[in-house]
Amino acid sequence: MQREVGTLPLAPALRARLAAAGFQTAQELLDTGPCGLSKEIGISREEALEALQVVRQECHGDAARTPGGSGATRKCTALELLEEEQTQGFIITFCSALDNILGGGVQLTKITEICGAPGVGKTQLCMQLAVDVQIPECFGGVAGEAVFIDTEGSFMVDRVADMAAACVQHCHLIAEAQQEEDLRKALETFSLENILSHIYYFRCRDYTELLAQVYLLPEFLSEHSKVRLVVIDGIAFPFRHDFEDLSLRTRLLNGLAQQLIIIANDHKSAVVLTNQMTTRIGQSQSTLVPALGESWGHAATVRLIFHWDNSQRLATLYKSPSQKESTIAYHITSHGFRDAQPPAVTHSTEGTELNPRKRPRTEEEKQ
Amino acid sequence: MAAKKLRRAQLSQEMCERLSRCQITTCQDFLCLSLLELMKVTGQSYYEVQKLLCKVSRACAPKMQTAYEVKLRKSVNPSSAFLSTTLHSLDRVLHGGVPCGSLTEITSPPGCGKTQFCIMLSVLATLPVSMGGLDGAVIYIDTESAFSAERLIEIAANRFPTYFDSDEKLLCMTRSIHLYRELTCCCVLKRIMSLEEEIISKKVKLIVIDSVASVVRKEFDTKLQGNLAERSNFLTRGASVLKYLAEEFSIPVILTNQITTSLSSGPGIQADLVSPADDLSLSE
Repeated sequence: MQREVGTLPLAPALRARLAAAGFQTAQELLDTGPCGLSKEIGISREEALEALQVVRQECHGDAARTPGGSGATRKCTALELLEEEQTQGFIITFCSALDNILGGGVQLTKITEICGAPGVGKTQLCMQLAVDVQIPECFGGVAGEAVFIDTEGSFMVDRVADMAAACVQHCHLIAEAQQEEDLRKALETFSLENILSHIYYFRCRDYTELLAQVYLLPEFLSEHSKVRLVVIDGIAFPFRHDFEDLSLRTRLLNGLAQQLIIIANDHKSAVVLTNQMTTRIGQSQSTLVPALGESWGHAATVRLIFHWDNSQRLATLYKSPSQKESTIAYHITSHGFRDAQPPAVTHSTEGTELNPRKRPRTEEEKQ
Repeated sequence: MAAKKLRRAQLSQEMCERLSRCQITTCQDFLCLSLLELMKVTGQSYYEVQKLLCKVSRACAPKMQTAYEVKLRKSVNPSSAFLSTTLHSLDRVLHGGVPCGSLTEITSPPGCGKTQFCIMLSVLATLPVSMGGLDGAVIYIDTESAFSAERLIEIAANRFPTYFDSDEKLLCMTRSIHLYRELTCCCVLKRIMSLEEEIISKKVKLIVIDSVASVVRKEFDTKLQGNLAERSNFLTRGASVLKYLAEEFSIPVILTNQITTSLSSGPGIQADLVSPADDLSLSE
């Protein structure tokens, strides 16, 4: 109630008039009433009423601060946060080594960034996560839906269909092995059509469309409250050309990062971004670094860098607040993103790759 | 979409006038400003500005489709999803052939047959659908002057002797291959930008650019200051326009590239793996 007039979200012209008339606190405005206000500063009664409604809304918002309210600041103890973190689900990646170094999988309410050279598997992981987020809770998933924002056009529906089919197959095998009723019931709704229908796909062709889509995301997420994953595949691509003004680019990217953090927290979803690599020319050698500059490095909470080592794909956890830095090998099979094969096993070049996570029964069934 | 004028975004007339006084006429200008700047420029309160932002965003945001709808749309017309190369083992590895609607890059050292492959694909694209072609015209952007019309006729006559049994059929095929010789980066980019209308008017079903690398390497020396940025700028702009054309018209786009050696950063400098020449940004 003692809030200063200058901090209220009113139109700048109105604020200037209020300051000129000598109003200092919100309480003064409320006490004056709409008619008095309109006479004193020379605006119409309707405008005065509108302004007072804004003031009242703001002050009530300040006073009645509920924890977990969207947009309001939350106050909680570390114990409450610990309990929340422990019950929070992870989105598994089907590559157990990667899940281990991430501490269980891709975390909800955090921004994870995946950087890597072209062809190393970033979009594959994104598509795999869009399928994995929908795994029912009884199988260890988060039973959510996914939003996929594509700026590069690398989303291949057939590939997602393959991954989804492999995931459904995997769950069926688990259900058969454990013979529990609720597992079987969950599987009735976990089918290929359902999985594909719950991936919401947006194709953004330039940064304006991307900005517009991110502005509209909170509304979309409130309508589709089951969304637990937002993937932006290729956050670097629209920002790498047509930008003479680098400071504008930094500002837009920071704005984007802030909005994404708000979205991640308010809607309890994971945000996954993919980034390109660029060459930085040093004094004597050139190194590959993530694109979009140094300041973008602060945007993501967790940073993964995918790279090659001869013909083996490696993933390095480069930045994480809770896990230590480590590197693991992974593999892309026809079923999707999987663990790397142990070196003794020879892989066949046909589609029937051995998946160490699958139970032995599959080899007989697969012919 | 970005250059959409604000008055088409259903903002009120006086708001548009007010914004144009500050040089904000397109959606792009509007969305690039921060909330405080918008409040200053529009003279509206915080909540009003948020509503305006949503309105403008709705005008340029892409339409939502579920992955299922995308799949259904593709499966409605399966034959138009690929251009078969008629090399059976290659088709098998590519799961059908050169995919329509995306960019395909062909890379090799000189003399391996990239231009020959492109010429053959041009012939295949003009064939009727019953023979595995796309029954359409071809736009061939040649930067090395390597395209030979005689070779084109030779390939067509020898490969499909039963179809091209008369001179008339051969001439008809050659009429539907539109060749553009562009020798500088600037011309190539201008040509790519102007392709949209040509594709519609000439019923084009294949775009070939042979080769991107030669014109880029001629003009940009990466050791010079500032050239790397300009080069990647040119490449990403070209790539994004080509991707848009490929997706919008569902046609294959073929680019050829050259080989260079990349020096590894180990002890002592040794010429190591050969890798495609172009900047990483193009291959995305």
